[in-house]
Amino acid sequence: MFSLFYGLWKYAFSKAEFHVLILGIDKAGKTTLLEKLKAFFSNLEGLPPDRIVPTVGLNIGRLEVSNTKLVFWDLGGQPGLRSIWEKYYEEAHAVMYVIDAACPSRFEDSKSALEKVLRHEDLKGAPLLVLANKQDLSNAVSAEELSRYLDLKKLDERVYMFEGVSAYDGIGIKESITWLVEVMERSKRTEVLRMRTSYAGSAS
Amino acid sequence: MGIVFTRLFSSLFGNREARILVLGLDNAGKTTILYRMQMGEVVSTIPTIGFNVETVQYNNIKFQVWDLGGQTSIRPYWRCYFPNTQAIIYVVDSSDTDRLVIAKDEFHAILEEEELKGAVVLLFANKQDLPGALDDASVTEALELHKIKSRQWAIFKTSAIKGEGIFEGLDWLSNTLKSGGG
Repeated sequence: MFSLFYGLWKYAFSKAEFHVLILGIDKAGKTTLLEKLKAFFSNLEGLPPDRIVPTVGLNIGRLEVSNTKLVFWDLGGQPGLRSIWEKYYEEAHAVMYVIDAACPSRFEDSKSALEKVLRHEDLKGAPLLVLANKQDLSNAVSAEELSRYLDLKKLDERVYMFEGVSAYDGIGIKESITWLVEVMERSKRTEVLRMRTSYAGSAS
Repeated sequence: MGIVFTRLFSSLFGNREARILVLGLDNAGKTTILYRMQMGEVVSTIPTIGFNVETVQYNNIKFQVWDLGGQTSIRPYWRCYFPNTQAIIYVVDSSDTDRLVIAKDEFHAILEEEELKGAVVLLFANKQDLPGALDDASVTEALELHKIKSRQWAIFKTSAIKGEGIFEGLDWLSNTLKSGGG
């Protein structure tokens, strides 16, 4: 009985913690983005871009944005490592998908990897933020152009946004995160995940 | 490697005492890796409680090595070596496919330890020079690394014998610890 009330109490008053997956093919700039987020939203400095090496595993960022706790999972994007992405889907509240907007030769690879992500059942209803990264480079295409190129089908029921950013100098990042936090707070998926967690909590 | 190592780790923890555990099943290549780092003399100790711990002290950082697996009766004594651990380097013999399941179980058991909750994890998929060695993606799968969700980890293909891959891993480790770790 106690655990039931405790579960309800936790359900009602616990400070929400959101898990955000940072995905994208290799060299998109995922880790640079994460380090920029750390610099913006925490007291950590964040690694400078020239110190960042390709990720072969998981990087984590724990940040607090406008009173909301966020945990970012940045996973390696090399082809051999992409099989691990789906193991993190079930617990993710939202996905940030990073694309190198200055590298059209890899758009197709990016597109097919993203389509695979969106098809996955475990990510049903998860808000999607597609970042056209590297806007600091003169040949980068805009978010609109990228969205036209990707021409993603089946996005109708999913909350999503395309945004042009530069993880290198920070353009567009704060706006993107503000949007993401807002949609996560309102999303149905958040509700579903929360119920699942509190149920698991009271059962144990 | 010695000089490189100095550059990576000399100012990492300031004056704080720090510990990095180098763990894995027997014959994974842990001691060879330690020798490859050329930081100093590897001191082998066999405490009376019955397990063998190798220690290398580098400034204020202690690297300590022992074998996982085997006797369960001595396990409680491992905890003496857990406080102040910033990182775990887990070494796997990628060619020993028969024992990968044991390597996986031991790995996840050690991560459960309360005092190691804050430590970041660096994995070496070692013995890449041997035929039949699994690559990093396959070792990732076999060790079920995706179950780690609250700490940073990375895996590197290494050959301790040839000295390959170790530096890349240590570079990651030093960056990760600098940027705030787990």
